Amino acid sequence: MKNSVRKLVSLSLAACTALTMSVTAFADEPYESYNYDNWDEAIPSQSGYTVQKTVNGTDMGLDRLSDPADELYFSENASVSLNEAKDVFVYNDSEIWVADTGNNRILRLDTDYNITGRYYYVTGESESGAAKSPDGTGTAFNSPQGLYVTKSPSTGLETIYIADYENSRVVRASVSGPTELTLEKEFLRPEESLYNSTTYNPTKVIADGAENVYVIVKSVNTGSVQFSPDGEFMGYYGANRVEVTAKVIAQRFWRKIASNEQIRGMQRNVPIEYVNFDIDNEGFIYTVTEAPVNTDAVKKINAAGYNIWNNALGDDYVFGDHTEAVWDMATNKTYATRLTDIAVNEQGIINVLDFETGRVFQYDKLCNLICIFGTKTSNADQKGAFTSPNAVETIGDTVIVLEGSKSRNDLTVFERTVFGEDLHKAFSYFDEGLYVEAVPYWNEVIKRDGGYTYAHVGLGKADLKNHEYKSAMKRFKIANDKKDYDKAFEYYREEWLQSHFTGIAVVIVILFLLWIVKSVMRRRGRRFRDLFGGNRKNKREEGSDGLNV
Amino acid sequence: MDSMYNFSTLGWVAHVCFHPTEGFEDLRWKKKGSVKLSLFIVLLLFIAMVANNRMRGFQFNTYYVKVFNVVPVIVQSVVYFAAWVIGNWCVCTLLDGEGTLKRICIFSAYALVPYILCTYAAVFLSNFLILDEAIWPDFFMYLGLGWSVVLMISAMKAAHQYSMAKTIGSILLTLVAMLLILFLAILLLSLFQQVYVFVYTLYTEIMYRVRG
Repeated sequence: MKNSVRKLVSLSLAACTALTMSVTAFADEPYESYNYDNWDEAIPSQSGYTVQKTVNGTDMGLDRLSDPADELYFSENASVSLNEAKDVFVYNDSEIWVADTGNNRILRLDTDYNITGRYYYVTGESESGAAKSPDGTGTAFNSPQGLYVTKSPSTGLETIYIADYENSRVVRASVSGPTELTLEKEFLRPEESLYNSTTYNPTKVIADGAENVYVIVKSVNTGSVQFSPDGEFMGYYGANRVEVTAKVIAQRFWRKIASNEQIRGMQRNVPIEYVNFDIDNEGFIYTVTEAPVNTDAVKKINAAGYNIWNNALGDDYVFGDHTEAVWDMATNKTYATRLTDIAVNEQGIINVLDFETGRVFQYDKLCNLICIFGTKTSNADQKGAFTSPNAVETIGDTVIVLEGSKSRNDLTVFERTVFGEDLHKAFSYFDEGLYVEAVPYWNEVIKRDGGYTYAHVGLGKADLKNHEYKSAMKRFKIANDKKDYDKAFEYYREEWLQSHFTGIAVVIVILFLLWIVKSVMRRRGRRFRDLFGGNRKNKREEGSDGLNV
Repeated sequence: MDSMYNFSTLGWVAHVCFHPTEGFEDLRWKKKGSVKLSLFIVLLLFIAMVANNRMRGFQFNTYYVKVFNVVPVIVQSVVYFAAWVIGNWCVCTLLDGEGTLKRICIFSAYALVPYILCTYAAVFLSNFLILDEAIWPDFFMYLGLGWSVVLMISAMKAAHQYSMAKTIGSILLTLVAMLLILFLAILLLSLFQQVYVFVYTLYTEIMYRVRG
């Protein structure tokens, strides 16, 4: 009897343990959330985002494409999964467009990630030499790598731009139905001699408010190719600069003294082209460069092609991990930041995707790091882990990452945690300068992560605004924010001097009087000490102190 | 003898500091200076460096505050000073210098006094100033440094009775000697560590055998 009770107890205990363990394992991300402090060191943090779900082709309902009764029917053997999908774009927070590169098709999903459109062809006469569709009215896509959807300001139609990689063309088409795109314009290889690349393989495309088209072309490093709405080549836009390294300087020196033959054999220092871009609703274009460079890694370019985030002008913008290239002993590989995509949402929150680590770095519009999420694993068999994260997009506050490798193709949907919501609210006030309004949210943030640097900065700035300089100084000290500490200290000192003015004045007056008394006494040939009855001998009369022989 | 030059021990320090060209000659002529005081000055140097690291106003403190390790500070003050004195003595003995080890120690320490005092002043001031007024602590730091360099040259010149050119040369050679001494010291340390590890391994081995 006793024995069986004991057995029961131990069994139930074991069950309890097992249950709690499995619950913990379920809730965790396959990575440790971290953030950077003001010493540029990675510190543990809370997750601002967590995986809501992953959506693969079957979840999207891609089997409808092979169902003859369905309006989206394409063929009996239409693939039910994505294949090396390269780009995703969210139109108007209501439609998700996926460039299913390996299957040569474009897919349209609604916000529940169910398919509402599939596009293999674009209807209309083409000069590009792309394969004709079976009915002869249109041309097929061949490896479409990038897309951009917008409501055309001139026609008012929903217009899609597709970077049709293998067909060497960029297509502008209006969306006529769930399976039909009507060709409006093709942007083919520019004939001008200024375009001197032998190939023309567009990878990404965007269009600005005036319907100018910007195309990133593979192995063109002079910026994106810019077309006017009617297809005229307008030049290059927003080229990167060469990063000045010791090697570049050394080569510049050798080039001065080398012969022409030697120079021809030398490596050329050319800028690394940016691989992806996004445009915000104010018309600024954001670019990312997929190489571990500090110069122009992420740029915010205005209409004139001028980079606003320019570290050469004294700013200190850092994107991606703050570390230099890291050698990983386990995989025997060197990891260096490779930012592959950027997405800016309505509020100006910037998501940057690092291909190398599978991490999404989220910044507010002033480039303050909000949070980091996602990771990379060798087989990407966990939610929130990737092998080749190709694109990042946002629907409102939700972040989607497109995984497009040979083995796995899906969308990972990250939703905000409570911590992330507090962060966004706090940062939105913080960026507006409404420091006091941000306080409750910063307090929530601090409850969950006491080491969150910006929370202390934000609270300190609120204190500063409330004239509580002492506690502001304390906050800035925790955040290691010397500049703001200095400001708080300046006000604190001023306040202190004002409130202690009488005492300070009295001390100064007393010292002044003493000095006058002393100088009067000296003039009369008496020492100050004599006043107090002291009659120490003059030092000069002390005589020798030992060695004075 | 002129009774003008009868100072207390501290008086001599003030005298050499405010008479950069003649002060050390007087000190040498009068055979004054205390080794105890010079060692105390080195201690003050160490404390000044710690204070500079820990007690500067937060807005001026560029040191990494997460970890404070006192060993580098000891090396930068006491060990560097010892290496300077020994290195200088080694070099100048070969170069017909008149200085003894004791005199070099005293003269060098006295020459450091402006630097130490100015460091304290800068650290003190930095607690009351803002970054816009950073020129004041900076001024004191540079003033102290410059003053001490001038005094050090003068001290070495007086200690060894060198010409100016020879003094500069000997100081440069001393810096090389310091490097050598520190290099050898590190080498020796690591060798002794290996000897220690060797002996300790032997000990463990024997103990295993003894215990069976």
